[in-house]
Amino acid sequence: MSSKADWKTILEPVNPDSNEPLFFTKHEWETVEAIAARIIPTDHDPGAKEARAVVFIDRYLSGISYIFASADGSGFLEIDGKHAHSWRARISDLQKIYREGLLVVDEVSKSTYSKKFVALDNDSQDAVLVKVSSQPKPGAVNLGTTEPATTFFQFVSDDGLPFWPAICLHVKQGFYADPVYGGNKNHMGWKVIGFDGPESLKDTMDGTYTTADKFTGDYNWGDLIPVLANQSNFPVPVKSEGLYN
Amino acid sequence: MTSKVKPAPVDVVIVGLGANGGTAAKVLSEAGLKVVGLERGPWLKNDKHYSGDELKFVNRNYMWPDSKLTPRTVRRSETEVAEPYPFSMTPQLVGGGTNHWAGWVPRPRESDFMLRTLHGDVDGASLADWPFRYDHLEPYLTKIEWEFGVSGIAGADKTEPFRSKPYPSMPLPPTRWGKKFYDACNKMGINAFPIPHASVTNGHKDRNPFNRTSFWNQYGDPSGARSNTATTFIPEAIATGNFELRSEAFVREVVVGKDGKATGVIYVDEDGAEIQQDAKVVILTLGAIESARLMLMSKSSKFPEGIANSSGLVGKNATFHEYLFAIGFFDKDIDDPVYGWAGNYISGGTMDFYETDESRGYIGGSITASSQTCHPINMVFPGRPLWGQALKDSDRTFFSHAMKIGLILHDLPQEANRVDLDPNVKDYMGLPVARITHKAHANDVAMGKWQVDKNVEILEMAGARKTIPVYLDQMTGNTCHQHGTARMGFDPAKSVLNEWCQSHDVENLFVLDGSGFPTATGVNPTLTMMANAWRCSDYIADYYLKGREMRLEQPK
Repeated sequence: MSSKADWKTILEPVNPDSNEPLFFTKHEWETVEAIAARIIPTDHDPGAKEARAVVFIDRYLSGISYIFASADGSGFLEIDGKHAHSWRARISDLQKIYREGLLVVDEVSKSTYSKKFVALDNDSQDAVLVKVSSQPKPGAVNLGTTEPATTFFQFVSDDGLPFWPAICLHVKQGFYADPVYGGNKNHMGWKVIGFDGPESLKDTMDGTYTTADKFTGDYNWGDLIPVLANQSNFPVPVKSEGLYN
Repeated sequence: MTSKVKPAPVDVVIVGLGANGGTAAKVLSEAGLKVVGLERGPWLKNDKHYSGDELKFVNRNYMWPDSKLTPRTVRRSETEVAEPYPFSMTPQLVGGGTNHWAGWVPRPRESDFMLRTLHGDVDGASLADWPFRYDHLEPYLTKIEWEFGVSGIAGADKTEPFRSKPYPSMPLPPTRWGKKFYDACNKMGINAFPIPHASVTNGHKDRNPFNRTSFWNQYGDPSGARSNTATTFIPEAIATGNFELRSEAFVREVVVGKDGKATGVIYVDEDGAEIQQDAKVVILTLGAIESARLMLMSKSSKFPEGIANSSGLVGKNATFHEYLFAIGFFDKDIDDPVYGWAGNYISGGTMDFYETDESRGYIGGSITASSQTCHPINMVFPGRPLWGQALKDSDRTFFSHAMKIGLILHDLPQEANRVDLDPNVKDYMGLPVARITHKAHANDVAMGKWQVDKNVEILEMAGARKTIPVYLDQMTGNTCHQHGTARMGFDPAKSVLNEWCQSHDVENLFVLDGSGFPTATGVNPTLTMMANAWRCSDYIADYYLKGREMRLEQPK
């Protein structure tokens, strides 16, 4: 049994153009691809279909080989020991949730439209997903309002999620996660929303990737912090000098 | 079970090598003592294991405890059955929470040490003064700022009490959203300043800082920018030749001898072997939840209710803070982008709403700071549409046009809010997990409401065209801040530890994390904890292990 510190790097980055399922059946693959296309639809910008969210989800559900990319994104970590047990159990639960959830999607499609989900037009597919989710289709977010909420947890795992919120989360991940995992092909998801992310994970480890241009260049600490002028114990800086990139 | 040779006894064994265990390891090994540090998690290396992988660090919990292996349970009252919930799951590895943290390290205020003197008995709360004052801690706050590496501008926070030295490093420049915060505060007469950061921007102590990736809160830092005990104090301790680090070592019991003193600890190593490490002094620094759990699991004929628990207070009076905030959205068609995803998580902040103003309807107050709205998968956006065109449109419209102002809720201690052993749920070792019983106090809810509404006002002054205030309902444990489960005090009937965080019952047992905090403070606690761990480690080296004793007088 090896410590997390010693997990080996195996495999290679996932090929987003693969059409070979490791977990899904062909029909399940097509259904997931069709659902993903309704979760993040294609418009004048690409959507989850073009970003290959289905490849991302298939690899995730295939076992424990595609859970954690190595730090530099050259491959994946071979999970070992107690962590391998817990991840196998987690993935096994998710496999069951997906298999059953996809059956429900087709059952609702057939009982409503007498066709499988993949054969429906966009509006009918949305109507089926509204039924599956038991909630109205989300509406647009508008400016000019205040919308209170209550506190929630900071990080989002998929432990315990039912099918619908799980696939919505996974499609979002497949659209926005680093491309090493098989989705976000050519940083397509990032480009849609204007996220200037790193070319590769390796670039985040050595200073190659920097967001220095997203900070304020034109500032003076004395202007931002007027009280500095009123104290005499410590020097008053103008700018932060000698900064790294 | 494998059997292994019992290791030689040492002067000090430290359980848990995070912020505080790392501090104790440095101070005690530099004092010439033989020290062993036991950490239940791995020893990850920042330059080898960390990068800007949102999925891995934020969603799949690479660094955080796996809640299937080490669950926690939560309930709101005595009568409920607690449910599994990942409450305040501080990373368990060498460096602990200083791996993932954003690293805000503001100083506490004089009022934080004397809430009961200031406010008397508050209904439903168990306020208590600290057994020392800000002045006792000030030299140690300065030591941490200089030795660990903290950036800030001295004199920029007009409410800060006396400081003996400025900061060793300048802060990063303001982010675009940080600039909005400064400008709005200046219009409102609020004193905004760069929140002191556990990071350096210069080569202080031969550091090599280069990380401006914006992968900050929840991510490990591959560079030497952010201060992490795994890259600072722990290597310094190892360099003395007096400190041995054993990772993947799960301590399950503190052992008590016939004389009532601790003889050492029993741990299970990576191979499943059970090993006893004897020491003259046992230091617990697992964090206030896990330190309390270990004390409660360490039952003996002398301490049937857990070691050092003659007061019955171990685990009680737990406080956790909660991160509350408001989001502001700008108009993509009119306003410049503020790039809410970029920057060092926090930028400008203020302490202007920290001290009690009873006209607001509550006592105490909280630090306030502008901050990131984070990365694409996990953008902090309550009400973000779950799916469909609305999801795509809102991500495209607001991803670079959002900012956040948040606060660390100063929750009041209540005796019924506590950590104990869950009677049903076990961890992967077969040991009972920590059960959290917590119900927010009316003061907590009122404070959250007023302060979040103030954040909305600042956002509106900054030009935000939509706001989303996030109020307190109940604690979710969304910070890693944990305190109070072995409170310090002078009276052994009303406290677990004395003013040196030394057990009243077991003289060679010290608990040097937030467990000793009688009240939570309204600032991020790590600087205060580390300074206190240093202060108490000095006492262990200079007094206790030399057979001397010094007692503080009850402050007036």
